[in-house]
Amino acid sequence: MTTNEKVLIKVENLQKSFEDNKVLDGISTEIRQGEVVAVIGPSGSGKSTFLRSLNRLEIPTGGKIYFEGVDITAPETDIDHVRQKIGMVFQQFNLFPHKTVKENILLAPVTLKLMTPEEAEKKAMELLTRVGLPDKADAYPGSLSGGQKQRIAIARALAMNPDVMLFDEPTSALDPEMVGEVLEIMKELAESGMTMVVVTHEMGFAREVATRVVFINEGNIQEENTPQEFFANPQHPRLREFLSKVL
Amino acid sequence: MENLQHQFNRYFVDNGATEWWLTGLKTTLLVTVIALCIGVVLGLLIALIRSTHEQTGKLKLLNIVARVYLTIIRGTPSMIQILFFYSVIFATINLNNIVIGGIAFGINSGAYVAEIFRSGIMSVDKGQTEAGRSLGLNSAQTMRLIIIPQAFKNVLPALINEMIVLLKETAIIGYIGTIDITKAATLVQSRTYDALVPLLSAAIFYLILVMILTYFMGKLERRLRKSDH
Repeated sequence: MTTNEKVLIKVENLQKSFEDNKVLDGISTEIRQGEVVAVIGPSGSGKSTFLRSLNRLEIPTGGKIYFEGVDITAPETDIDHVRQKIGMVFQQFNLFPHKTVKENILLAPVTLKLMTPEEAEKKAMELLTRVGLPDKADAYPGSLSGGQKQRIAIARALAMNPDVMLFDEPTSALDPEMVGEVLEIMKELAESGMTMVVVTHEMGFAREVATRVVFINEGNIQEENTPQEFFANPQHPRLREFLSKVL
Repeated sequence: MENLQHQFNRYFVDNGATEWWLTGLKTTLLVTVIALCIGVVLGLLIALIRSTHEQTGKLKLLNIVARVYLTIIRGTPSMIQILFFYSVIFATINLNNIVIGGIAFGINSGAYVAEIFRSGIMSVDKGQTEAGRSLGLNSAQTMRLIIIPQAFKNVLPALINEMIVLLKETAIIGYIGTIDITKAATLVQSRTYDALVPLLSAAIFYLILVMILTYFMGKLERRLRKSDH
């Protein structure tokens, strides 16, 4: 359904090594507007490194990544500017503990002068309502549950009006009973048309919400397909083995 | 009663004693405040250079300068440093001794403050930097708005300790011909031929100053802790 949409991110032969350890071994793929790509794979397969390369939190050792046509691997690219359009949500939330919930959301848009404090304040309250936490505006992150923290982290990323959202195992650090509330927000976000790349262990989410599922193993994409085909008809033996363990 | 009054006058009023004590208090306070300001600014600067270099490999030359500075200041007695500033660096410049003392102690304290701040910056989780940078903030904005406020809170107890040490260390400033609390005590002692009361008084003055400092810093610490629940 999305094949005619414009390409947001184009990855060409992406490589990343940490000293002698080759983590990414020539990944190539495209992320199109409106796609929800679930990235799954065993731990240590390189899926987080792949995701973190997309906004250059990891600096690739080889290959190219284009975001909206701009080569973000080029050293002369103003990466800070590119990152304004790429939202990121982390496994450990990484909320700023010394700022209130509202200040967490306001900080970047106001500091970068993308909004006036009044506009940002209004936007923050809208986003807090969207993630169901308007009453926590003046709370500090330390007083929130893990699920609430992650919902705030999503709101914080959305405040920048990103073109794509990256999720790095957003529910892996949560108590099981809080996973649902975060996935629900992500599902709503997907339905609103947001382009998303989600590294996850939540097979239910991959199956129901993703438009494409990518299996990364040993630093490469070994299989990618629509969720229906991916789960019903896995081709690669390693993927079959993986799915037999996690499903 | 009359005897007590007489004794008080002997140590705190007669022969210009009042002025010595007041001058001493003023000098100790001024030198400490000047040194604190220089020390905190210099320390923060050095800490930023050091941690930027550690994290990114940049600022190589400045990092070498910072390390030489730290090695020399921490490796030599502050007494020698003070005398060096007074008799060598500022020997031909007409500068108030209090200012010279403040500068010397500030440069001395900066070395210790730098290591305190550096440990504070290192203590902030690297996820905080990643969160800031992923929102499009540049490294300076991330440092200023996200890392330093948290680092400052983490190191406040160590910083308070350094301030207390600094306040007491200024007791050697009498060696460059300035009347601070300690010098005032020795002057009174030489006039009255009694050591106990002047020295005890000086000790009490220092103690009171330290307690005032501790009180205000404790208040600041509690205010910064309001985000903890």
